[in-house]
Amino acid sequence: MTSAFEASGNTLWDPVTLEVFRNLFYSVAEEMGVTLCRTSFSPNIKERRDYSCAIFDGDGHMVAQGEHMPVHLGSMPLSVEAAIEHTTMRPGDMVAVNDPFCGGTHLPDITVVEAVYLESDVEPTFYVANRAHHSDVGGMTPGSMPLSRSIYQEGIRIPPVRIIKEGQVDSDLMALILANVRTPTEREGDLTAQVASNRTGTRRLHAIAGKYGVDVVVDYMHHLQAYAERMTREAIRLIPDGVFKFEDCLDDDGQGNGPLPVVVTLTIDGDEARIDFTGSAPQVDGSVNAIYAITLSAVMYCFRVIVPFAIPSNYGTLQPLEIIAPEGCLLNALPPAAVAGGNVETSQRIVDAVLGALSQAIPGGIPAASSGTMNNLTLGGTDPRTGEAFAYYETIAGGMGARPQADGLDATHTHMTNSLNTPIEALEHAYPFLVRRYEIRRGSGGAGKFRGGDGIRREVELLCPGQVTILSDRRLTPPYGLEGGSPGKTGRNVLTEGGVEREIPSKASVWVQPHTTISVRTPGGGGYGTAPPDEPGDSE
Amino acid sequence: MARRIIGIDTGGTFTDFVLLDEGKITVYKEPSTPDNPARAIVSGIRRLLGTDPVEVVHGSTVATNTLLERRGARSALVTTAGFEDVLTIGRQTRVSIYDLDVEKAPPLVPHERTFGIAERVGPQGEVLEALDPEQLPDLVRSLLALEVDSVAVCLLHSYANPAHEVAIRSAIEAGLDAFITTSHEVLPEFREYERCSTTVANAYVGPVMASYLADIGEHLGPERVRIMQSNGGIVPLSAAQKKGVQTILSGPAGGVVGGFEIGSTAGFDHVITFDMGGTSTDVSLSPGQVSRTAESFIGELPIRLPVIDVHTVGAGGGSIAFRDPGGSLRVGPRSAGAVPGPICYGRGGNEVTVTDANLYLGHLSSRHFLEGAQELLIEPVTEALSRFAADLGLSAEATAEGILSVANATMERAIRVISLERGYDPRDFTLVCFGGAGAMHAVDLARNLGIPRILVPRAAGILSALGMLLADYVRDYSQTLLLPLQGLDPEFLEAAFGTLEKRAHHEYRDEGFAAEGVITERSVDMRYVGQGFELNVPVSGELAGLFHRHHQKRYGYSDPARPVEVVNVRIRAVARTEKPSLPEDEIVGEDASEAVLGDHEMVFSGDSFQAQLVARSKLSPGNRFEGPALVVEYSTTTVVPPDFHCRVDRWHNLILEPIR
Repeated sequence: MTSAFEASGNTLWDPVTLEVFRNLFYSVAEEMGVTLCRTSFSPNIKERRDYSCAIFDGDGHMVAQGEHMPVHLGSMPLSVEAAIEHTTMRPGDMVAVNDPFCGGTHLPDITVVEAVYLESDVEPTFYVANRAHHSDVGGMTPGSMPLSRSIYQEGIRIPPVRIIKEGQVDSDLMALILANVRTPTEREGDLTAQVASNRTGTRRLHAIAGKYGVDVVVDYMHHLQAYAERMTREAIRLIPDGVFKFEDCLDDDGQGNGPLPVVVTLTIDGDEARIDFTGSAPQVDGSVNAIYAITLSAVMYCFRVIVPFAIPSNYGTLQPLEIIAPEGCLLNALPPAAVAGGNVETSQRIVDAVLGALSQAIPGGIPAASSGTMNNLTLGGTDPRTGEAFAYYETIAGGMGARPQADGLDATHTHMTNSLNTPIEALEHAYPFLVRRYEIRRGSGGAGKFRGGDGIRREVELLCPGQVTILSDRRLTPPYGLEGGSPGKTGRNVLTEGGVEREIPSKASVWVQPHTTISVRTPGGGGYGTAPPDEPGDSE
Repeated sequence: MARRIIGIDTGGTFTDFVLLDEGKITVYKEPSTPDNPARAIVSGIRRLLGTDPVEVVHGSTVATNTLLERRGARSALVTTAGFEDVLTIGRQTRVSIYDLDVEKAPPLVPHERTFGIAERVGPQGEVLEALDPEQLPDLVRSLLALEVDSVAVCLLHSYANPAHEVAIRSAIEAGLDAFITTSHEVLPEFREYERCSTTVANAYVGPVMASYLADIGEHLGPERVRIMQSNGGIVPLSAAQKKGVQTILSGPAGGVVGGFEIGSTAGFDHVITFDMGGTSTDVSLSPGQVSRTAESFIGELPIRLPVIDVHTVGAGGGSIAFRDPGGSLRVGPRSAGAVPGPICYGRGGNEVTVTDANLYLGHLSSRHFLEGAQELLIEPVTEALSRFAADLGLSAEATAEGILSVANATMERAIRVISLERGYDPRDFTLVCFGGAGAMHAVDLARNLGIPRILVPRAAGILSALGMLLADYVRDYSQTLLLPLQGLDPEFLEAAFGTLEKRAHHEYRDEGFAAEGVITERSVDMRYVGQGFELNVPVSGELAGLFHRHHQKRYGYSDPARPVEVVNVRIRAVARTEKPSLPEDEIVGEDASEAVLGDHEMVFSGDSFQAQLVARSKLSPGNRFEGPALVVEYSTTTVVPPDFHCRVDRWHNLILEPIR
């Protein structure tokens, strides 16, 4: 039996105050999220909830993050780190950053960081930050999720710079950003919402420090990090020691290179784990390169889901994990690599690979592969009703992998994303589209003792000339089954133009005539366990 | 004619009766009869009044339970072809991000009873593909073959043009004897998933509710019965039979209305109601009036009708405390429920709950629970708590206080969500608490949030039934417009309101209300063009200015340069009921010594106190005493800590305030 008053850092903690602060910090991050979500303009933020909010200690180490996007888990701290390293944040200043090679993830994700000064004007006591996926940040295709060959084609690159100085927007900088995007009014509104979100967080932290005292708050930030570390170590300790290897792959990079292996060697040693991606594909020409922050987030997610308790996502969670991704590989790309899809596609494959390795370590504890792609669809053009440019981006869910004790869910976002769809009636009001079909793609889930979930069939007709860009995967290699379960069906992208139907590849960008329909059929999840005889055959 | 009216609230365990007869209140509880809730109602009335006719206001959980327990009608859904899976797909999300075992509630209507019809309406209500009537006979045949009880019809953009829904409805009506409900009638608002979910819920609970109400009407006389709705208002029985979905969240509504009315009567019209029960806690904010929301859920299913805005958290008296592997003290969401219940009930519970911690600290009396009908056991609590405390490395006392702190943190967060996060300062409010455990935790919450005052109503145990007696007739109407505010023709807006008002007056008139007795209130849902959430703004001046001010209050900023969009227009049509006045008595004096039963040991912040044990039933208006004290009564216990005093007002409410 351990004593409750363990030392972590220099001070003692007690289990009651720890729990109270866990609630408090989490509620601050959630409240920041409410402000951001409800006042933003990009469908990506307001409807799809593609954002994250978090608070950090004075060293920039994460303390708590809202239950937002898993893909932002490990990468938020790197934004704060970059902001600290490259700028001087005075009281009332905020830094914006989206440069994947300096604290960002991919260009549409803009992070806004604020330093919170409580005791002096010299050393920040805390930091707050939020990240939101903007609908467009310029670049070669509307929606800024292009099939690019270098970062320079992907949009405006914002290194850590102060966008708010002493409480006022730097209008020069804002003008520069807005001049580089297709939908500047929307961008400005979203950035305003991000600033308001940080202010909510700062206000709450001021109040909490006023009530409990700065020292106590700071101490408990550190205690919560130690707590998350203990929880993660405990979870790893329950996994048998050993070395487990798994390999999966991405179809291609959209530039003719593929398949692209993602190889992981997982070593469990006591309460620590080494996750080594040596042997994975080198970085590629196309836009599926992941920077290190993405790889970190994906690994963190995998370990987070095997912990049977709700623990804060913070600095402590990472401590027992050693992640090796050689520089210049697909999972730790160097500039000027194109990275738009690393965040959304490669992150999912990293999860598939790490969970695959974990399934050997914890037999009966890990589900079969889920659809493994976010099916990123972007439609851009000029709205004939208003004469204004539009850029609409959405992700389409697929089937969830079957679980050791249950079928996978149909038509659900899995693993690194949990973004909502845009209501069809909202979409058709705002854009020159008609949604022709939105249904479950029956029979696409893999057979097994437990079936993989089915994917989706979604068909959108463009009412004006425009550009259709699809960034997807699992069109060639299906989501794997486990323990004898069949793989899920691969996805398909079908374009119908002037009555002619044609298949387009997993990653494609096409200019189309009015009344062209893009049909995206998303992969099903893998099955689990051997199917009973007489299982009805798959048909689409 | 002397007015005699009875409020009846059917709960899981008890059916509560509040009879108001010539200004006198009589309270009665009858065990519920879940297999046929009408039985308890009829026998309760008989016991109170014999066979005399009486006016009844009734709130029931029949619709709620039908939905939660999935015991509803065999329903079918008719929708636009290509969109049959809207309910299964939902918003494409999972409710818990990091849970690999996450499940999704299946739709109320399975795929095999869902029918796609070839037709298409566009966002402006324009018909893009006409409805070919030749499909309809086939549809009717299929529905007949499936022997459905009810049919929901929900087509894309029907809020903008209901013609196709109307045509389908007529065809089904002609061929089928079933409960039919269309989405443009239930909820003429955009967002297909939410509208469809609400409509299907109506089809699912409608027939069950209609036959239940028919049964009640048969016993009590249909014209004498009014039904409580989720929006805090009542409707005649016949109206509730058509729209059962409107009663789905009526359970908490009575309590909120009752809490608000009692607070207002006592002089406090800014009220936060705090209803802490065994497994969950409901909080609601009433800033001068009860607040409503159109964004509610039941389970995972969205129900988009205006309902009283109640925020629920999974912490209550039965919530179980445990130590997690990281060493933190956690409370809930697992609950001991009624069976086995907390350890102190002696029914086999062996995990420490919030109630056990309260008992250990003397915040609950072992001898006065349910007026002594059930003795609470302290010994097994002490034993279990000591074991648990050793695990945590704390004293038993610190552990018990810790359990309360952690539970209170959860509830404090719930109150923050409905107040501070929405731009309201809790310091302007009175906390009205009810439910079995509310008044045990209220002071700590008030202290942490700066709430200056706590009110414990006399009728805390039957507040919901009382609230029903105080409710007005309320009907809500809405229509999606989705038009820019700039350049919006005022006459067009006026006409939109006018149409809804005409419908409201028409429906009221059909039920025998005089037009002059119906008050309509206008409001508009607005947002900045491009936003995804709207704010509801009562019409009281120039709309753009009102919207900017609301946005500023709620989110801390506004941008008068940005264009604003009118999303929905709303009408709330209210017919005031004659309010029975709450019985009040003369102030008799401060001395409360007659109510003191004796001494009682209580613990606050690690210190033990000899507190007074006070019998609520013996307190008189004007009585005043200081903490530490424990006030006991049949179904509630009130904790008065050392730095608070308590007084009794003319309505027999307890008012707790800090000693300055």
